[in-house]
Amino acid sequence: MKQFVVIGLGRFGSSIARALSEKKFEVLAIDEDEDRVKEMEGVVSQAVVMDATDEKALKELGVADFDTAIVSMGETIEDSIMITLTLKEMGIKQVIVKAKSDLHSRILKKVGADRITFPEREMAEKLAESLASPKIFDFIELSKTHGIIEMVVPKKIVDNTLRDLQLRAKYKVSVIAIKRKVPYSKSDGSTDFKEEIIIAPGPDDELISGDVLVLLGKNTDLEKIKRL
Amino acid sequence: MKSDFDDLIELSDFYLLSQKFEQAIKSLKKAEKMQKNNPRLYYNLGIAYEALNEKDKARDSFRLALKLKPDFRSAQEHLDRLIEE
Repeated sequence: MKQFVVIGLGRFGSSIARALSEKKFEVLAIDEDEDRVKEMEGVVSQAVVMDATDEKALKELGVADFDTAIVSMGETIEDSIMITLTLKEMGIKQVIVKAKSDLHSRILKKVGADRITFPEREMAEKLAESLASPKIFDFIELSKTHGIIEMVVPKKIVDNTLRDLQLRAKYKVSVIAIKRKVPYSKSDGSTDFKEEIIIAPGPDDELISGDVLVLLGKNTDLEKIKRL
Repeated sequence: MKSDFDDLIELSDFYLLSQKFEQAIKSLKKAEKMQKNNPRLYYNLGIAYEALNEKDKARDSFRLALKLKPDFRSAQEHLDRLIEE
């Protein structure tokens, strides 16, 4: 089983430690702040109060045996650079680091970080995209040219089957899934719904209002279908 | 005896279950002209708007339902989910 060490338990660090633990991975969580560590006790396999810039203490803790380290130090850029360097020197295979700026990211790459993440920027870009077009819920970039979007089915094409719509022929996009809200009657007589996902829908599947389409295609083609 | 208002709410349930969300909204808007103090009306309206992904309107409707019935659990659950998204 993969083992993760999460250094820095701010908002990002604690969220990722929590999410990995929920996926049943072994997680060692480290922070200098006692309160932050206390919050993670019982959530992760081990939570330790420690100054992670202390190389000797990291070694004693056996951090070198972990497969992946996630460094999420919010306060100072220097600390996250130092720690990344130390972790790579200790031989950790994958070191993922949260960066604050482009310059920070460039330095992290130079000292050996395997992956840099800008969680705030990535979230902001997604939020901007969804605010710019309220019918687009999500965008996943697969490469510079291709992506996946989640969009509300445009009114114009509701009540048609996928065969009728010929989205692949006309727009060069593939419908990889349909998210649909399926209503049901509750025991108290009121109505509620649950979300159903139709994976790889067939040509006879009909779109109904409220459906959310998960589309895969070239970004330029996705832009065209967004304007439908 | 059932009133026209109750009939409209029942009709909206029928439309919701048949995934005719726009029609459900029409019935509920008619019902709203007769009575504005029914939490179930705004709950159903919230469900219809949420199903159509009109999230702002769904949030407003669930808020109205909760104003009229603060312990309306289903309405609270839907509202919480919509705010977190």
